[in-house]
Amino acid sequence: MSIGKNVIHDSALGHVSGQSQYIDDIPSQKNEVYVGIVPSCFACADVKGISFEKLNSHPDFIMGITADDLHDNSWGTIVHDQPVLASQKVNYMSEPVALVVSKSRYSLQELIKLVDVDYREKKGIFTIDDAKLEKSTIYKAHPFKRGDVQKALKKSMHLLKGTFKCGGQEHFYLESQACIAYPDEDVMRVVSSSQHPSETQRVVAHALGLPLHHIVCEVKRMGGGFGGKESQGAPIAAYAAIVAKKLGKPARISLTVDEDMKITGKRHPFQNEYVVGFDNKGKITALKAHLQSDGGAYSDLSSSILERAMFHLDGAYYLENVEIKATCYKTNNHSNTAFRGFGGPQGNMTIESIIEDIAQTLGLDSYEIRKINCYRGSKNITPYGQKVENNMLPELFEKLHKTSQYKKRKKQVEEFNKKNKYKARGLSMTATKFGIAFTAKFLNQANALVNMHLDGTVQVSTGATEMGQGVNTKIQQTVASAFGIKPSSVKVMTTSTEKNHNTSATAASSGADLNCAAAFNACEMIKERLIQIAKNYNIKNEIEVSDSLKRTKGYTFKNEKVTSPSGKKYNLKDLITKAYLNRVSLGAYAHFKTKGLEFDKDKGWGSPFNYFSQGTAVSEVEVDLLTGELKVLRTDILMDLGRLINPGIDKGQTVGAFIQAMGWVTTENLCYDDKRNLLTHSPTTYKIPNIQDIPREFKVNFIQNHENKRNIFQSKAVGEPPFVLGISVWTAVKNALSVKCSSVVEMSSPATNENILITYEKHR
Amino acid sequence: MIRNQLVVYLNGVKKNIAGSHAFLTLAQWLRYEEGKTGTKIVCAEGDCGACTVLAARYRGSDKLEYLPINSCITYPYLLDCCHIITVEGLGSRDEPHEIQEAMAKGNGAQCGYCTPGFICSLAGMFEDLKRNKQKISEKKVKNHLTGNLCRCTGYLSIVDSAMAVDPKNVARISEMYSEVEMLQDFKSAYDNSVAIESENATVYLPKSFDEGIQFLKDQESSVLTSGGTDLGVFSNKGKISLKKIVSLNNIPEAYEINVRNKFLEIGAKASLTEVEKACNQYFPEFSKKLHIFASPQIKNKGTLVGNVANGSPIGDSLPFLMVAGAILVIQGEDGVREININDFYLGYKKFDLQKNEVITKIKIPLSDAIFKLYKISTRKDLDISTVTMGTRIRIKNKKIEEMALAFGGVGPVVMRAKKLEKELVGKTIDSQTFENFATKIYEEIAPIDDLRGSKNFRYLLCKNLFLKLYEDLSREI
Repeated sequence: MSIGKNVIHDSALGHVSGQSQYIDDIPSQKNEVYVGIVPSCFACADVKGISFEKLNSHPDFIMGITADDLHDNSWGTIVHDQPVLASQKVNYMSEPVALVVSKSRYSLQELIKLVDVDYREKKGIFTIDDAKLEKSTIYKAHPFKRGDVQKALKKSMHLLKGTFKCGGQEHFYLESQACIAYPDEDVMRVVSSSQHPSETQRVVAHALGLPLHHIVCEVKRMGGGFGGKESQGAPIAAYAAIVAKKLGKPARISLTVDEDMKITGKRHPFQNEYVVGFDNKGKITALKAHLQSDGGAYSDLSSSILERAMFHLDGAYYLENVEIKATCYKTNNHSNTAFRGFGGPQGNMTIESIIEDIAQTLGLDSYEIRKINCYRGSKNITPYGQKVENNMLPELFEKLHKTSQYKKRKKQVEEFNKKNKYKARGLSMTATKFGIAFTAKFLNQANALVNMHLDGTVQVSTGATEMGQGVNTKIQQTVASAFGIKPSSVKVMTTSTEKNHNTSATAASSGADLNCAAAFNACEMIKERLIQIAKNYNIKNEIEVSDSLKRTKGYTFKNEKVTSPSGKKYNLKDLITKAYLNRVSLGAYAHFKTKGLEFDKDKGWGSPFNYFSQGTAVSEVEVDLLTGELKVLRTDILMDLGRLINPGIDKGQTVGAFIQAMGWVTTENLCYDDKRNLLTHSPTTYKIPNIQDIPREFKVNFIQNHENKRNIFQSKAVGEPPFVLGISVWTAVKNALSVKCSSVVEMSSPATNENILITYEKHR
Repeated sequence: MIRNQLVVYLNGVKKNIAGSHAFLTLAQWLRYEEGKTGTKIVCAEGDCGACTVLAARYRGSDKLEYLPINSCITYPYLLDCCHIITVEGLGSRDEPHEIQEAMAKGNGAQCGYCTPGFICSLAGMFEDLKRNKQKISEKKVKNHLTGNLCRCTGYLSIVDSAMAVDPKNVARISEMYSEVEMLQDFKSAYDNSVAIESENATVYLPKSFDEGIQFLKDQESSVLTSGGTDLGVFSNKGKISLKKIVSLNNIPEAYEINVRNKFLEIGAKASLTEVEKACNQYFPEFSKKLHIFASPQIKNKGTLVGNVANGSPIGDSLPFLMVAGAILVIQGEDGVREININDFYLGYKKFDLQKNEVITKIKIPLSDAIFKLYKISTRKDLDISTVTMGTRIRIKNKKIEEMALAFGGVGPVVMRAKKLEKELVGKTIDSQTFENFATKIYEEIAPIDDLRGSKNFRYLLCKNLFLKLYEDLSREI
């Protein structure tokens, strides 16, 4: 049984030796051409004309492509409102307006600069406040309501009113968007760096005017995704494909980091207005909030992201009287998109910020506020009606309080702060209660193809895409444990739409949940046939096997042997051979769908999630009050991931998500000039955490929880939930400043040096 | 004799690079011409480390020192007579290197895109540990990986993987590859000047400064490059196009660092890594700042003279060199002249440097004064400064006897606060003095708003750094 073991990542040896192949590592074919994007020079303008004339004399120039060359120039995962190539009007700075095709990868940048585009600049909308004035919206969500908020607010002993602001975030996957399109007679094969091959297949098909069965999208792996390749890989693939189709030659596109950062969308900035009422102990009696996001120029996934922010405004806390409104605004910024957490962190951070403010107002420790508001006992219904089953939150808070020596350290922090004039330390514990499932119910399905070979090895294909998160390894473990074979006998194959159809994006942390379950179901089908072979092992005639899943009980598959209930042992390989000779299929295709998801959008009530992954984290920070410099001294994390499928991978996801979030709330600051040129478009200017930035002491643990009956192997999803815990670094900064400030510390995120220093100067 | 091709070894195999290939970045050449795609190009500006490879430069002796460098911002013509090791040269899927195995087993790789860079940086660390007979520690691991960004792991598993390697089991690269033949090749090639031409570019590698200056004179608008860490970025980002290049690569004297007549003399090609080492003894405060100045990869290529000649208002070494009163030795057609660095900067990127003149070395007067250097940036390590401050101070009987104060990031050039310096002389070192004078700095600086910080933030920082100076001084005296 390989479940629960530290099976190493199935590509680990390839990664460390540089032999793992990514899109731009694929050797070029002799006739291959290279595609570059011409970005717009205005954030809002009419396009009067595009001229490639200056390129004609360049020896490498092959052709230019505009919107006119596309069959259907619109795409969008939810609403088709985004052009593949802008035509007539550009709606954000650096929006793709045309393509150039070159014989050489080395001259692409030169060619791009030679394209003339004639613009008529118009006035754009760049902030949520401006969009509000202009009534420029992408989506207004149906509010969540429970109790009587107005009445409860009136009766509250204390009221706090405020606006919580958090910035966007660049994905900073190291492999930029990339694709090679290979024309294969009348089929277009696109090899893409995409979290969503089926969507890529669809967008390419529409752009080319081909039916879906003429398009194959393959994804071997991505050099990071984080949500940035959920929707946005698709138009990039369409660029390569349209050129490949026109020329009948392979066409490659591989963006530079600068291009990628300027062109593609990011995490949504939010600006959340709220009024909160609470009593003398800090118990929240009422919360009224309006969540507002900047969706950018097009819809993309913004509506779902907004809703997930609403679903996570409660954080780990029971809100008896609550009203949550939400609006996504349309601006002339890059079209914001999915990013690990998908709005959840922006909602969650709001309540954690509010709690710090309550603590400061009452002069209490924020941990006490969190403890009394935490979901507990019968106070376990979320503002949208879902019950928090198998609620581990009180245990997670209390256990981490103990193991992190919170009490003792709180005292030490207080003493430090008394002694130091120019330095302040802060300590804060926050929580995650992340809902697992796509909130669009139909996406919660997956399919898998399992092929068993005569030597007892297995190839498995699913719609899951590997971006480093280890989903392939978890699938490998699932299949290995199902058949009782070594993980090395299972190979997870390149994801391809010709093997797995109508797949959902590998997103919402659900890649392993859905695809392991589908693979498991396929294994069960083959196992059932093998059991029937075992049962009839000695009959002379050809063995007939029925394909109805009887779930024959009592047979075990272990150590490459199959044991009957009576203890009779068969070599797995012998059964495989026998099956083949008896003309019994050793391949199976299976489907899986998550059960029990019901949510009524019009009422804002129901159970959109399969379960919640939960956790707590406590961070201690030190800020320099002269320079605003921040040090994260220590972080302790305690996660509930049910029964871990792969502790090494799960820990890696937890740590990675935490640090990524720490970057979001500290150093990752997106800057634009007045025309909305992104100024932070490479790692020189956009600072993600460095190895020196991780907490000086860093402890990560998991609690034992074998009660999650709602997911395969009683495991829980890990991709996004721990991201939310990075917020503890930011709340710890707030806590540190609160000691030295007389009024409630109003601070936006990220807490850059500048933000920390200016906030301190404003409040001291 | 003038050679028309570069001699390099790649993973133990001899490669002669000529023509247009000499003008690709090393990373492009490795990936697209040699098929070594383990080396990744991500930022193309030396800030992420995904392109890290090891390079050992032949400099006349029989010892090759393998150092990590960023292959995305270097060119083959900066690596003549070098042995280059890529991730593929360390091990393979079937026969992984000790470090590779530890990273695989320790979940040090997730998406894998940054991994080859980390592997090469770690290989560089183990070379360094073994060379200096040092033990491994978490701190050393982090210091050697400062130039490598990872977006997946959060670094913890990478640190743990590195710590799991027993240095005893790590083979030196000189043990993995026979160096006899390559040393012979380098030796015979080393005496030549090199000239390479392609369809639209030329590069010249002189053997002496004289020869270089002559070439600059003959070939108008040539660009002089030493470490190339800035030029590489400018070229990659389309800001300049390198057509005529003079590389100081093959001038042996340019690599020298000496102490002579009470000056620390640093040659134009001496890497920041070597400067950091040398300053450890003479200017420990500067050495400490060089530590967070940049990544090991950059410091192995970048030079102090390069930082001076680039002349950025946020050049990290400049406040120190200014308060230290460093002398620039400049060689031109008419001979050699010396100039104090405080007189060198005439305006934004405007220097007292004639066409066809070369800064051959920097002389820093040895001093027993107290130096204090400060650098504030968005991220502590490997980031460009928002504001820098440097000071040299001499104290007698609790009074300031001598004071030099320089600020970076507050104007078109790194500037001295001359008025304040004068006013402070004779003042008592106490909090009162520093609080009284802190806002006086505002009279001499003129910061602007940019992506690294607002004007107000910069004003505030200058004032506060001055207060911090007192905090630090009071601890010492």
